[in-house]
Amino acid sequence: MFGEQQRFMLFLIAPAALLMLLFQVLPIVIGANASFRDWALYNPKKIWVGFSHYYAVLSDPAFLYTVLPNTFLFMILSVAGALVAGLALALLLNRPFRGQKLVQTILLVPLMVAPVVAAIMIRWMFNDQFGIVNTVLEAIGLEGQPWLVQRWSAFGIILLTDIWLWTPWFTLLLLAGLQSLPKEPFEAAAIDGTTTWRVFRFLTLPMLRPVIVVCVVIRAIDAFRTFDIVWTLTGGGPGRSTELFSLYAYVHAFLNLDLGRGSAAAIIGGLIILVIGVVLYRLVDRIAKA
Amino acid sequence: MKQLTKLAVATTVALWAAAGSASAQVTELRIGYQPSPIQDNSIAMFEAWGAKNGVKIVKVPNSYGVYVEKMTASLTSNSDQYDVIWHNDDWGQTWAHLLEPMDDVEANKFASKWSMSPIVFGNDKGQNTVVPMGQTFSVFFYRSDLVKPEEVPKTLDELVTVSKKLQADGKVKFGYVAGASMNNSWFTWFWSMWGNNCDVLLPPYERDNKKLAAAGWKSGMTEPCMQKNVEYWWDAINTHKIVPRGMPAYDRNEANAVFMAGDAAFTVADSLWWGTFNDPAKSKIVGKVAATRFPLGPDRAKPFAWDDIWGWAIPKSISPERKKKAKEMLNAMMLDKEGQKKLFKATGAPPPNTEFWAEIAAEDAFMKLLKESVLDSPDKVRGAYYFPQWPAVHKAFNDTVTKAVTGKREDIAKVLAEGAPLVSKAAQ
Repeated sequence: MFGEQQRFMLFLIAPAALLMLLFQVLPIVIGANASFRDWALYNPKKIWVGFSHYYAVLSDPAFLYTVLPNTFLFMILSVAGALVAGLALALLLNRPFRGQKLVQTILLVPLMVAPVVAAIMIRWMFNDQFGIVNTVLEAIGLEGQPWLVQRWSAFGIILLTDIWLWTPWFTLLLLAGLQSLPKEPFEAAAIDGTTTWRVFRFLTLPMLRPVIVVCVVIRAIDAFRTFDIVWTLTGGGPGRSTELFSLYAYVHAFLNLDLGRGSAAAIIGGLIILVIGVVLYRLVDRIAKA
Repeated sequence: MKQLTKLAVATTVALWAAAGSASAQVTELRIGYQPSPIQDNSIAMFEAWGAKNGVKIVKVPNSYGVYVEKMTASLTSNSDQYDVIWHNDDWGQTWAHLLEPMDDVEANKFASKWSMSPIVFGNDKGQNTVVPMGQTFSVFFYRSDLVKPEEVPKTLDELVTVSKKLQADGKVKFGYVAGASMNNSWFTWFWSMWGNNCDVLLPPYERDNKKLAAAGWKSGMTEPCMQKNVEYWWDAINTHKIVPRGMPAYDRNEANAVFMAGDAAFTVADSLWWGTFNDPAKSKIVGKVAATRFPLGPDRAKPFAWDDIWGWAIPKSISPERKKKAKEMLNAMMLDKEGQKKLFKATGAPPPNTEFWAEIAAEDAFMKLLKESVLDSPDKVRGAYYFPQWPAVHKAFNDTVTKAVTGKREDIAKVLAEGAPLVSKAAQ
């Protein structure tokens, strides 16, 4: 049935395929099965309930008018913010200067911090009584703010934390991209006396575009399922005003102990991100071909 | 050959017998718990018993943030990961069918009758499923160096006036501070609600599920007493400024930090924080803290006390030998007078054996106060509801109240009306 070469190839991919099957495909199948059943974590009756969990999620005003808008807003702003900051840092680090390696290492520190640890740290930094942020504001004569009790300030802190955590990742990849660009067009532009802005706008950015797009696609998919920093910083609050999709699924599955409803929410989220992923991948393909 | 056969048979029988007795002999018990002063001190009694009885106590700490879901998954999967687990009244009915009945733990007869009610910990056959670890209720703490006992607020209005006076005199930055975010509702929203004849579900203070069902799981969110309660906290934050503006987002650690820094005159916290408030390594108010009954709202004149327990439970799925040994250990813990005195001294939580209460109260003023104002009180409130959907009800309540308190004052009634069906639906 298979030739020697095919058998050898199958043998090589078998361990990875088996692991993927056991730890990715199987849990998804079990989760999908739970989403069609009355599956309370404390009393799993596992009775077939059809699409009732899906209907409950898709007709939940909190999911439609708070959770989904929050998730998309977070995805767009966090990716855009980290991309801009990462690109700026990559451009700075692409020029030789004294201590460049040291600065490069220091800038990578956030990548080494666990998101939960970073979120706890930021929560205390923005504490209205003991936080460094209010201390500085009060020192310069401004009033300290209760940052975590208002929707947009709390949302802003979540974004800030995420951007801080992910900027080094963008920096690292974009810097690698910048260093792999051919030197000749830049030398020609320098001979022509082109301004720095025009070099960036018409040379660097178009040549770096494939790298940028790949980074954005990977990060956008990842941002959609962000959980840890939001759960630690605000728990989705005040009220439910900063709740994202992953918190919605978690609360149903593990706080309300309704695994069926939580799984349905997770499957719906998975389908949404699948559509976004396909659109983004097509975009990458088009840009790469261009 | 015959001799060889006999030898082989004898060896097999001996090995089988040895293996059988080894499996019956339990030499290790695994405790699933959440590190906290009361649990650490209770486990110290297990370890003392284990040292005497040749049983190794293996402590398996779990994060509070994921404790219920993790332990529920462990219980429903029939794993034998734990022999004894931390149990709480909030999950009394969620886990009742998954836990070993404890009616044969003889020393349970010394536990508080109120706390061991079948409504809370009974399974569908009416069997009890817990052995108490200690009484875990909150009290109204105040700074005894700033407020004389006769000046302590008796009403919510007095809490405002006394707080404002202390703030105006420059004694403290805030009058009151406490946790208020999800899973910290007790320390702000709940106690003031109970102190005003109000509750999450109607009728107020009712915990019998049949009666709650008969009332249609109606939420108390739209009752006038609830609106007064929420408006009280809105005013305390925005108008009177007696509490930090960030308080609706505080958990108990953040609130305790403010109180222990000496920045607030009053707080509500579990009595088991008494030890931490008086720990010089953590607190600036050592020796300056006292406790009393909760201030009351305008709709209630009679004092009330809130009394619950934390406990230990045994998963149904473990082997009979392990269950037996675990019960022996829990029985011994219930009778360990010295250990329980140490537990109280280290935490301020009244120990599980009621027989020791009078003796401890005679030696310790704080216990005397807890005994008079809470443990012996005829008007008690239970801190949770006892049906599996309680976490969902609690979250719907907290989300609604937080939204109302952090929004505009004129929108409070509207927000509570919007939240009422969500609370009610979550209960069904």
